[in-house]
Amino acid sequence: MLTEVKNQWKVTMLSIKYALQREMLNKVTFFSNIIFMMLNNACFIVQWIILYSLKNEVGGYSFKQILLLWGIAAGTFGVSHFFFKESYELSETINTGKLDAFLIQPKNVLLSCITSSVEVSCIGDMIYGWIMLFIYGFTLKNALLFAFFCITGGFILTSVAVIFASLSFWFGRVEIVANTINSLMTNFATYPEGIFKGFVKILFYTILPIGIVNFLPIQLLKDFNFSTFLIIIGVTILFIAVAFFLFYKGLKRYSSSNLMNVRV
Amino acid sequence: MRKYFYILKSELMSNLQYAFDILVGFISYCILIFIFLNLWKYIYADPTELINGYNMNQMIWYVIITEILWMSLGGRKLCKKICNDVKSGNIAYNINKPYNYVEYALFNHMGLVIIRFILVGLLGLILGIVFLHSFPSLTILEILGVLLSCLLATIINIMLVTSIGLISFFIEDANPFFWLYSKMILVIGTIFPIEFFPAVLQPIIKFSPIYVVSYGPAKLFVNFTMTNWTQIMIAQGIYLVISFLICHGIYYKGVKKLNVNGG
Repeated sequence: MLTEVKNQWKVTMLSIKYALQREMLNKVTFFSNIIFMMLNNACFIVQWIILYSLKNEVGGYSFKQILLLWGIAAGTFGVSHFFFKESYELSETINTGKLDAFLIQPKNVLLSCITSSVEVSCIGDMIYGWIMLFIYGFTLKNALLFAFFCITGGFILTSVAVIFASLSFWFGRVEIVANTINSLMTNFATYPEGIFKGFVKILFYTILPIGIVNFLPIQLLKDFNFSTFLIIIGVTILFIAVAFFLFYKGLKRYSSSNLMNVRV
Repeated sequence: MRKYFYILKSELMSNLQYAFDILVGFISYCILIFIFLNLWKYIYADPTELINGYNMNQMIWYVIITEILWMSLGGRKLCKKICNDVKSGNIAYNINKPYNYVEYALFNHMGLVIIRFILVGLLGLILGIVFLHSFPSLTILEILGVLLSCLLATIINIMLVTSIGLISFFIEDANPFFWLYSKMILVIGTIFPIEFFPAVLQPIIKFSPIYVVSYGPAKLFVNFTMTNWTQIMIAQGIYLVISFLICHGIYYKGVKKLNVNGG
């Protein structure tokens, strides 16, 4: 069992490494993508400077906490879209029959598929996340928690993408639903929880788990609480398990399209 | 000119077939308006309170109009298309046609923008009326004045995005420049009126494209005055000429560098 996990880990890392090497062929584009993504994220600081000039706190967050919220949002988005970029194209992969190429591989089909390419600009998101942590306040404890929450959050975002994309096995073209859910997660993630009321808040801890990905980590970085920490771990495992379960359940219904496809 | 209107018409007819798909794509517009509605409700303790000369309803209408302009533009799609045309060499097929590529890109993209503007415009107006139970008091003539300003804003925006896409002649991927441009428009031009920025920055923003592509039409919608309209029209006229010259300048300089491998 342990050897199998070790082998799978090795294959996944190799897949990411080769995808990254492909992207690094053009160095100028590679670095400009990263730098421009960081500048792109930094533009939004202007929005919050203006809002905080009107009010001392927004939705219960101080200015530094907003920066940290942006840091966590960028970090989790970066982890998910860099390492598991293809989970966001999974619905199309299933519908167009491109999954055939991954079925014949000896390792885990889902992991092989979703790690087959990387989004370079997301390195900029991850770096930006760490810069925001430095501005918030860098301590060893904060750094470890931040890294941990970026990983758990990245896993949850990926799992949500896989869960909704897997519905394609049953309902065909569900890209619109999957894309809408992913877009909802990204849009809500950078605004403080306190400005929303009622039903939306329930969504944040269920179908759109932004609460677990972003809001709870902010609370923990401010004031650590072991039971909340365990909740985040538990929910992350739950989302990963559901994603794998649904994908493999659906895979049994998958039929090939005889698509001729060459992966170089 | 007739050939360009023919391109516009055929693109318009083609996009009409996908009106439903376009409408579904506007879910993110609804989400953004919902977020800003919540945000401004939180910031304005009293909806009638004035912050920098705007009450809560005016602020939300301002965001609704600027977002209509930005969402209907489809700038990312245009920039990506032009980048791909240049990178893949497809532009070679357009160069030898009896039209100018820049004008072709403008009229071709307008075919998409018109459909998007009508759909997202209706959606925005419905959202505004449902959430705010109010509509700015505008006469028919004033509405026409705002629409003219929106049209000029869109043409200027298309020319500027096309210019960014044409940078692909010189560097491989111009998309990162578009990200920056879009964030500049979004953060400085869409979310807040110019009056919300520090006094020292306001004159700079007034001379930037943000004034003509975003602030101008939205300001006219929430608070129409003849003086404002005249000022915005003059600024849009100047920017129209500048963006036209920049776009053609980059295009002609880039075409000289073009080297397409046959295939």
